[in-house]
Amino acid sequence: MNLAQNRIRGAVAVSGWVALAASLLPGGSPLRWLPVLLFVCFGPGLALLHPQPHGLRPGARLEAFALAAPISLSLATLTATSLFLVESFSATAFLVPLAAFATVVALMPGLPLPAATRGAVERTRVKRPSGGGR
Amino acid sequence: MKRGVVKRVSEGFEGRALVSGGSVSGGSVNSAPAGSGSATSVPPGPAPHGGGTPPPHVRRTAVPDLAWLPPALLLLGLGLWAYALPRIDFRTMDDYGLLDRLPAAFYASLLVLTAGFLVSLRRAGTSPGWPLAHCVALLVALKAPPAVLYDSVRYPWASKHDAVVNTMLGVGELRPNAALSGNMSAYDQWPGFFTLNAALVRAFGVESTAVYLNWAPIVLGLITLPVLVLIYRTFTEDWRLVWTAVWIFQLANWVGQDYLAPQGFAYVLHLSVLAVVLRHFVRPGSAGRLRDRAYLDPAAAAVPPPTGPRQRAVCVLILAPLIAAINAAHQLTPVMLCAALFVLSLTRRYRNYGLLVVSGLLMLTWDLTMGRPLFLETLGTLRESIGELTENSRAGYAGQLTGPGPELAGRANIAMVLAVVALAGIAVLGRRRLTRSALPLLLVSIAPVPLFAVNDYGGEMLFRVYLFGLPGAAFFAAAALVPATAGAHRSRGGLARRRTAAVALPVVIVALAAGFLPSYYGKETMYYTPPAETELVTRAIDRLPKDGLILATSGSFPQALHRYDQVEHWFFAEQELPENEKMLVDPARYLADGIPPGTTAHVVLTRTQDIYTAGEGLLPPGGFATLRARLKASPLFTTVEEHPYGIVLAYTPAPAASRPAPATPATSAPGAAPATRAAPAPRAASVTSASRVASAAAATRSTPATPATPVAPAAPATSGGTP
Repeated sequence: MNLAQNRIRGAVAVSGWVALAASLLPGGSPLRWLPVLLFVCFGPGLALLHPQPHGLRPGARLEAFALAAPISLSLATLTATSLFLVESFSATAFLVPLAAFATVVALMPGLPLPAATRGAVERTRVKRPSGGGR
Repeated sequence: MKRGVVKRVSEGFEGRALVSGGSVSGGSVNSAPAGSGSATSVPPGPAPHGGGTPPPHVRRTAVPDLAWLPPALLLLGLGLWAYALPRIDFRTMDDYGLLDRLPAAFYASLLVLTAGFLVSLRRAGTSPGWPLAHCVALLVALKAPPAVLYDSVRYPWASKHDAVVNTMLGVGELRPNAALSGNMSAYDQWPGFFTLNAALVRAFGVESTAVYLNWAPIVLGLITLPVLVLIYRTFTEDWRLVWTAVWIFQLANWVGQDYLAPQGFAYVLHLSVLAVVLRHFVRPGSAGRLRDRAYLDPAAAAVPPPTGPRQRAVCVLILAPLIAAINAAHQLTPVMLCAALFVLSLTRRYRNYGLLVVSGLLMLTWDLTMGRPLFLETLGTLRESIGELTENSRAGYAGQLTGPGPELAGRANIAMVLAVVALAGIAVLGRRRLTRSALPLLLVSIAPVPLFAVNDYGGEMLFRVYLFGLPGAAFFAAAALVPATAGAHRSRGGLARRRTAAVALPVVIVALAAGFLPSYYGKETMYYTPPAETELVTRAIDRLPKDGLILATSGSFPQALHRYDQVEHWFFAEQELPENEKMLVDPARYLADGIPPGTTAHVVLTRTQDIYTAGEGLLPPGGFATLRARLKASPLFTTVEEHPYGIVLAYTPAPAASRPAPATPATSAPGAAPATRAAPAPRAASVTSASRVASAAAATRSTPATPATPVAPAAPATSGGTP
């Protein structure tokens, strides 16, 4: 894993804590809602899908990018719903588990979606001169 | 076009990648008029990603290098849009909604963006950034004007969802068994989307979702876009086809389900689940000839590599939170998902019963725990609706669209549906090899259709089925317009198809854009409410004590459900027109007879209600003015507050002895009127049941008979639309 990938992992790992810190800023400020929105929409999903031992294969980049938001928002939805069910909801209680999740999984190997390990093969295949289509 | 390729190759500029780009869009339908006639020296590129290198020294008459054109047109289009934006006079909307308030520059911006998109398709294979940028620009151009311009919440239903979030934040817990008026407890039974927004409201530090909810279509659209690309890339290697399908999807997505609502959110998650399934759940040994280039349609992608049980198990783990969140957020989407997974499991390629079982179990678990009250109620009413195909597939709740704008919107809705379905049908029949390889996409698009036989979903089923079928329909519609080019030069028919498509693609997408605008903005007058009017409603509801009763013609106005957990609602005109005509004979007596003794009741009549009841055909022409005048003149009601945009009347009952008998049979039983549409068993007082039924229908536009309920309310742009 090279330096650039480590930087991405590091950024994803701390993104939740940055969002948490931003939530201390005055309400409604873009400096507050923008990091929170970006983290809730992308943080946990990218942490889950992005870290691969050799970086993302080309075929998997689109996949990781496309699925990051749905997965992140799903986890956020389940977290918020659980907090309401146990009557412990607050912004901090919402952000802390998500930030901790993002940190932990960003430091672990990413989930091996098949495309993440198959992209190179696909690319080789479609580069064949004899491959028709467009 | 091909000449452009030749020119660049001969110059050795960008080498192979550019050649492949040229071949990707080689003979591109949009550019064919310029280049197809003489483009014969270089055969179309064989591979989409750089396969084959044309003869290096062939040179033809130079044609302009159009690489600069997409960015230029994009900037011009966005510039025109930005110029038009402040000139949109939305405050004076009338019969045609926003349509006749959009300046010429706005329409010009859409045309320029369309032209830019078509040009950008030429290099779709090597420069996917420009088609992507144009798709994002189209999304913004089409759906951002209300978000940028409006000084209030767009869509009464969005306001209702704002009220739900506020209530959840207020009580800090979920109460799925609270049995609130108007089946509003359904929101606590499928609360995922609202708890998420409650979290965002607190984390953003804003007062409510009203601050950002007008941006929901943009955010949801941006999240949906890469998921769509992912799905389409699974079935085609032709980037022109991918982007054209995305473009058509955006234009055909006039259904208006992308506002701040659980269904729009769950829809994105649904598509994400399908994307993973379609890419990673192929069973070993099931592809057959579908990996044979000689057999496949030139544009088709080979079947994705198969996965073993362990890989699929990992994918199920990744999908589990998505499926759980879908179940937590919305009640109809899990049904659609199970239907899609079921039809996929009928194919050899995607026979994965495990995922189907997991999805079904998650759905049942939720329905029998959190969603139990409404789920059981729905099961009880299914017997009435099952098999009622024509009734279940009708559009809207009650009444006929009335007025130029709504009628035009209704006609445009029908035309859009027919156009997309017809185009998709042409490709399904005409490109059978593509249909064969993309059969799973076709199947998941058709999967929701049988739901017509089950329930009408409050007049929404037609729109929901269309929406869930749209990804596949857009793909095949694009396939009808973006023909394969490989080998096309060899046959006269192929060349003719390319030439036809060269005209058809721009014509069709311009026509779809023309259809989108009335479909989406034709009824906009119903959806914009000036802040003063909303404040009037808020004041009126705030005046009521706990357990007070608010009466209005319909629930389609902002803040209609403000304090819904404390105040009863009765939307008394949410019923068939004949019933309302009887009500108009003596509206004061009709309402008085429905109000339980001892209840503090206020009537709120606003301009937005007037527009809605007229446009949806709930009241006859002039009916709202008659209602307002008669109530105001009645001794049973006294005016609390009156403005040009609305009036608040307090119910001041006459002494019991002096109360006359009901004037008409209809007025004697207001609670019975909504019951014509399958009212649930009445609870305590007649008003309670009346308000419960009426607001269940009005507020959510899901009759109690619907399986899925209130939470999945109306499709603003469409509901009530008339296909």
